Amino acid sequence: MRIRAALATAVASAGILLAGWQSGAHIAETGAATTTSLSSSTKSGGTSSGGGTNTGSPSSGTGSSSGTSTGSTTAATFDGTQVQTRFGTVQVRVTIQDGKITEVTPLQLTDAERKSAQISSRAAPVLRSEVLQAQSANVQTIGGATVTSDAYLTSLQAALDAANF
Amino acid sequence: MTSLLNPDTSADSMPAPPPAGRPPAVDRFRTQSRRRLARADLLGAVGWLSGVAAVALWLADGGASGFSSFAGTMTALGIVAGLIGMDLVLLMLLLAARIPVVDNAIGHDRALEIHKSLGKPALYLLLAHGLFVAIGYGAAEGLDPLSESISLWINVPDMWLAFVSMALFIAVVVTSLVAVRRKFPYEFWYVVHLLTYAAVGTAIPHQFSVGGLFAEGTWQRWYWLALCIGTGLALAWFRVYQPLAASFRHQLTVSRVVRVSPDVFSIEMTGRNLERLSGAGGRFFLWRFLAPGQWWQSHPFSLSAEPVPGDRNRPGKLRITVRNLGEGSARLARIRPGTKVAIEGPYGLFSTAARSRDDVVMIGAGIGITPLRSLLETTPFEPGHATVLIRGHDESELFLGQEIMALCQARGVTLFHLLGPRSHGDHAWLPRDVAQAGFGLHSYVQGIADADVYVCGPSPWAASVIRDVELAGVPAEQLHYERFDW
Repeated sequence: MRIRAALATAVASAGILLAGWQSGAHIAETGAATTTSLSSSTKSGGTSSGGGTNTGSPSSGTGSSSGTSTGSTTAATFDGTQVQTRFGTVQVRVTIQDGKITEVTPLQLTDAERKSAQISSRAAPVLRSEVLQAQSANVQTIGGATVTSDAYLTSLQAALDAANF
Repeated sequence: MTSLLNPDTSADSMPAPPPAGRPPAVDRFRTQSRRRLARADLLGAVGWLSGVAAVALWLADGGASGFSSFAGTMTALGIVAGLIGMDLVLLMLLLAARIPVVDNAIGHDRALEIHKSLGKPALYLLLAHGLFVAIGYGAAEGLDPLSESISLWINVPDMWLAFVSMALFIAVVVTSLVAVRRKFPYEFWYVVHLLTYAAVGTAIPHQFSVGGLFAEGTWQRWYWLALCIGTGLALAWFRVYQPLAASFRHQLTVSRVVRVSPDVFSIEMTGRNLERLSGAGGRFFLWRFLAPGQWWQSHPFSLSAEPVPGDRNRPGKLRITVRNLGEGSARLARIRPGTKVAIEGPYGLFSTAARSRDDVVMIGAGIGITPLRSLLETTPFEPGHATVLIRGHDESELFLGQEIMALCQARGVTLFHLLGPRSHGDHAWLPRDVAQAGFGLHSYVQGIADADVYVCGPSPWAASVIRDVELAGVPAEQLHYERFDW
């Protein structure tokens, strides 16, 4: 390649990379925002797009299950452990009323890559209905979402243990 | 001058100039060469930008957010390496697809040279992809890279295929290393090379299911789909359909085999629609003679004469001249008239399409003389503006020497026979006594710096010629060299 063409290519490359980075930075921010709102547990089964926020420190999959009773009736919610997977952190909250599992809310789902966010959003509702039906964490994992399912059920089991369910 | 009367724009629409005698439009070749070099630059830029675009689209889909942590950074680096690696693999396939736009711009030789030079970088990038992703995923889960790889293999669907793909890529690149390739017959290398398709095929599932490349709603999905499908179509069209179509279109049949010297023979063929191959003199085809024990081997040979189109009464004619070099070409000498021939081609830039100046110099040795013979027949030049140097140990090695002499007389070409034992040292391409007497390239050709130089012969000899040609001030775009050591 002649020098002028090489220079033009280099400049074009820099421009294209910069443009990609610019539009990507925007997506990464909204992704982080969505994850935060999920953590505050106002939404259920939500998905977050873009980059993962919590793939870092390999915290162990045990401990830290915190049961918080909400009081007024016999309904109580319990948070499961945060389970680290290669696709992001998974944590669920379980609601128990009159000795039955009435709701499972994902606090965090795998979202490290867009594809994993997509997988989570598909797997979470299915897992939820299976758990509600079986009334335990002892249900089948979802094909094609093995990692997410395993983490989901592990976190759920920890929550159930904390609830002495 | 003709150029003043005929501006460049009208030169394009003019019918092809008659082959001999008439002066070509001045500057026609300069324009042609400028355009060809511009096309080559454009292709080079597209190649680079395809890799850049792959990374940019990944960034646009939020890829950079991973860089906030160690695990995320490792994973992101792994993904970038994988993206560029995959892009290089697809570029390599495109370079080997014999696409006419590529062949016309840089030539088949150069395309394969680039193809080869990309092999190792692509493999290293794919290895880095596996390593960094294993480290990144492992760090996120608190596993070491090895346990992470094992867990990926066992637990994640499609990942075992990705490991198989990696092994296949390693096999393909290792068997293509020069040192390894020499130890095995061509056919072994060829079969292993076919595994490339399996390697790409087994790599794609994990890009769908584990990686985000084809995730719905991303730009990357469309980019990679287009790239993969485009590459597949190019291969199917140019390497499968076009050769079949050409073989059926021309219906080539061996008409006779003529011995030129004890180990050199011409194979003459008849066929239809040969006017469509006009101008192919000097370019090469891959020939497959459809006889028992022969059909599975294809041989690259250049035409040794311009194709003669047929008419209602007689079929068109085509000729190649072959030296008995290997086992395969030895069998060709015994090929029977009536044998059907399948072809792929024409390929290469050893033709008028590569011209950049009005003057021509042709330098050939051994069997490399024969493509020059067909180029000499048609490429336009004015009488007195072409020089031919042919080299042989003795007269009997100047294959088709009589025909070349006749063409030179008819078209006003200066012809030199360079005969005698080879010399050593700086001008090894010249006969010993000539070199010792102090003669050089300048003794034969005046003003070579402003001429197109076509070189064809065994590669050590050609390397020596090219050195002298470059020393004489001939720029790269005027130097056209056909390799003859396949």
